[in-house]
Amino acid sequence: MIVRRSRLRLLLEVQLPVLLILVFAIAPYLWMVLTSIKPDNAIATFPVQYLPTAPTLEHYQVLLARTSFLHNLFNSLVVALGAVVLGLGVSVPAAYAFSRFRFTGRGGLLVFFLVINMVPVVLLIIPLFVLMRQLGLIDTFIGVIMGHATFAIPFSVWMMTSYFNALPAELDEAALMDGASRWQTIRHVVLPLAMPGIVTTGIYIFVNSWNEYLFAMMLSGQNIKTVTVALQSFIGEFTVQWGLLTAGGTLIALPVTLLFLIIQRRLVGGLTAGAVKS
Amino acid sequence: MTMQRRSEHIPFLLPALLVTAVVVLYPALQTVWLSLHHFVLFDPDNIRFVGLGNFADILLRDELFWISLGNSLVWVVAAVGLQFLLGLVTALLLNQTFWGRSVARALVVVPWALPSVIIGLMWTWMYDLNLGVFNDMLLRAGLIDAPVAWLAQPSTALGAVILALVWQGFPFFTVMILAGLQTIPATHYEAAAMDGATRWQMLRYITLPALREVIATALLLRMIWVANSLDVILVMTGGGPGYTTHTLPLYAFLKAYSGMEFGYASALSLLMTLLLLVVVATYVRRVARSALA
Amino acid sequence: MKRRTLMTYSAAAIAAPMIGRVQAQAPTTVRWWYHFDNPQASPAELVAKFEKENPGVKVQAESIPWGGGNDYYTRLYAALVAGNGPDCAMVKLGNQSRLLQMKALEPLDGMIDKWSGKSDIAPNLWKMHQANDGKAYYLPLQYVVLYLYYRTDLFQAAGVQPPRTFDDFLKAALAVNKGDVAAFGMRGGGGGHDHWGSFVLGGGATFDSGGMVTPKALAANRWFVELGTRHKLFPASAPTDGFRQIVDNFKAGRTAMTIHHIGSANEMVQALGDKVSAVPVPMGPDGKGWTSFGDESNAVFAASKAKEAAFRWASFLSSADNNVAFNAFTGQLTVSTSGAAKWNLHPKRFVDATAASTGLMGTLPNDTKTADFTRTVWPQQMQRALLGQITPDAMMQAIEKHFHG
Repeated sequence: MIVRRSRLRLLLEVQLPVLLILVFAIAPYLWMVLTSIKPDNAIATFPVQYLPTAPTLEHYQVLLARTSFLHNLFNSLVVALGAVVLGLGVSVPAAYAFSRFRFTGRGGLLVFFLVINMVPVVLLIIPLFVLMRQLGLIDTFIGVIMGHATFAIPFSVWMMTSYFNALPAELDEAALMDGASRWQTIRHVVLPLAMPGIVTTGIYIFVNSWNEYLFAMMLSGQNIKTVTVALQSFIGEFTVQWGLLTAGGTLIALPVTLLFLIIQRRLVGGLTAGAVKS
Repeated sequence: MTMQRRSEHIPFLLPALLVTAVVVLYPALQTVWLSLHHFVLFDPDNIRFVGLGNFADILLRDELFWISLGNSLVWVVAAVGLQFLLGLVTALLLNQTFWGRSVARALVVVPWALPSVIIGLMWTWMYDLNLGVFNDMLLRAGLIDAPVAWLAQPSTALGAVILALVWQGFPFFTVMILAGLQTIPATHYEAAAMDGATRWQMLRYITLPALREVIATALLLRMIWVANSLDVILVMTGGGPGYTTHTLPLYAFLKAYSGMEFGYASALSLLMTLLLLVVVATYVRRVARSALA
Repeated sequence: MKRRTLMTYSAAAIAAPMIGRVQAQAPTTVRWWYHFDNPQASPAELVAKFEKENPGVKVQAESIPWGGGNDYYTRLYAALVAGNGPDCAMVKLGNQSRLLQMKALEPLDGMIDKWSGKSDIAPNLWKMHQANDGKAYYLPLQYVVLYLYYRTDLFQAAGVQPPRTFDDFLKAALAVNKGDVAAFGMRGGGGGHDHWGSFVLGGGATFDSGGMVTPKALAANRWFVELGTRHKLFPASAPTDGFRQIVDNFKAGRTAMTIHHIGSANEMVQALGDKVSAVPVPMGPDGKGWTSFGDESNAVFAASKAKEAAFRWASFLSSADNNVAFNAFTGQLTVSTSGAAKWNLHPKRFVDATAASTGLMGTLPNDTKTADFTRTVWPQQMQRALLGQITPDAMMQAIEKHFHG
């Protein structure tokens, strides 16, 4: 925003609330991190011990050296990136059409995507498994990527449509009237301006795929195991391996957070310079 | 709106429709089929068509359906509402310029970056009667005299799970709204500042209206997602104590995977979908009309 | 048109693997599904040993996530329905009747009778694993019996003995229930029916038709619920406590007694040393009692194309030294009588308590409704009764209704 605040006001009105919110957001994660560096006999004690008296990295060592965690992390990355590529590749054009074109069935199709979103797919995990087996997609990357992308598509179409709607159609028309083809218009005029929306939607797809458990568990086998499935294996029938679980949980949040750290600069770009003169 | 050739839209839409049809449409249709049958997975010899029988049983003879429906309503309104409010405030704050903003923006995403099963386990542990940090801190601060069984008492269980879900979900709104805030040209604020507008007025007359469509869509989609979500509740309370945190999707899930009654469970989830459809249709008509215009 | 296609498709998808084409037993690959608590524990050594003793048979051991039991069984049922299930897998008794009704299991009597290790497993163990049709489909793998943990020091301080009967139990509980310590860490969440069972099934309730609503059964349940609602002997978190909570609470010294099994004995001793010991669960005044026999077995599937080889692997795991090694992974007790004699992985007093409990061992009925009972119906009704939302009698009536309509 434009109006400059005094430093005190900035502190009180902005920085302090942000700090409070951050504390709320980070505290449970911090508790998990602290737990992950405690030896087994110091976890789940009574009375509650906050700081570790004998911090150890043994859980991380075991996690990385003696389990398949890194490999699973890699699997998750492939699946998530694949889902982003497939999801965006399919929903951005569709959203563009919904935003810029008018055709019969437009309203109906938009509602269709919404309704598809509303069916709780978790219920259909067994019929879906049977279908995937018919298609030969069990224990393959493609199977899980398709699943993740598909769960994300309805959302992506709607969000991208609204981001495209926020960009005036006059932009496209101006370019088209200047003799640009549709493809050139999209590539050079619309997409750059819609980047924050595209990036955000991409992040959403990535995060959802990264965290997804049920579908990945059902469709995975010995070859494709995502990191969420791997973490679940630390929760046993008789024991919970808190050390390994919290170490894994700590690590699993890092890629997404790092990704966001890098990407969030892009979010500040876009229209803040007042590019649209209308 | 823009100049278009007649069937220009088709290649844009086709990929999305194809992919969706394979993985979502087919199981969706199968849900419909299952809901019209008595279908118990371990009893394959006894599959039979019952028409609307399942639906009649649910609506007329199943008190747990109505209890779950009530819980779902509270669940959706509270969870989505609080996620949205917190997310909006956070986005507005993070749009300001201050030292450490980049780091703050990245850190706020952390709850969203964790899988539901971890969130469920950690929060259950934090709420634990003896070993949980909440009770410990509240006791030390003198705010309570005895530890509270947050997840075992009907009066606190639903709220406790909702808090975990608000924690998980508010970054979603933060990110979506933050992106939307970037599309508001700075010139609008400059002009308003020159006219002597206060910060509140700018929020009310420039920011919020400009965000309207993004907010409306985000709320709609989040509402659908939360209404259907069950993994956090499943891990934290399993629907208990009693029926306190029993929501509709959880009920359908238990019917399917504990009782193996896929026909009945499908009917439950279809009813849920229909109810959502009604709510969404009303919502879209009132609020997000411009998206469909 | 579409409906009929869907119908035929689904019916075919369900029926096809159940028809189970019987082919010549080619000694090739046996796919075996398992779940170990400790993900680092690997059956690789056992597999290598087996393959050496059985040239021509390869074992493909696949670790399937347990997910509270739900994920493991969802995967298993889905795979069986879709026709790509394993040749054999670790399974529990609670699922036997469902799998049988799906015609998914292969009867093993013939192969068991020819097996040399048959006599090394006690006859009553064989009997417990039998299906309702009298045939054997399961090969016992591990031996879990629930007993009562108690705090020796708290009992000594209160001057009470570890309880033998229900009355003893109430007296002892009232004596040790003071300050921050709750007398009994009761498990009200999923799987907690074991606790309830010791007092209510042990007190005379049965799963037969009408067996849950006899005056004796109702009285036993009322007595049990009142332990919590009237005498306040359970911690406030009991309604939703799972195994993790009852073990942690006991280790942390917040409860004086709880019911669990030898799988947790080592961690109990690590936390409490000599202050923890165990006895069999209390019995009724008529000398009868009930404690949960927690099972895990291997079953061979009817759709398998390598049944004989699969049986060889499963029986290998159930025989003497191999079974002892196997249970070193799971932390439970071996089913092999010869192996049990040399058992040294748990402190003796817990092994003794387990052995002393064999007379009380019981399982839940072999009924398709049992799995739903343990997972959903019992926790819900128990929680409602503990919270006073329904009367104890209403709880028993709901259970009766679930099984017998």
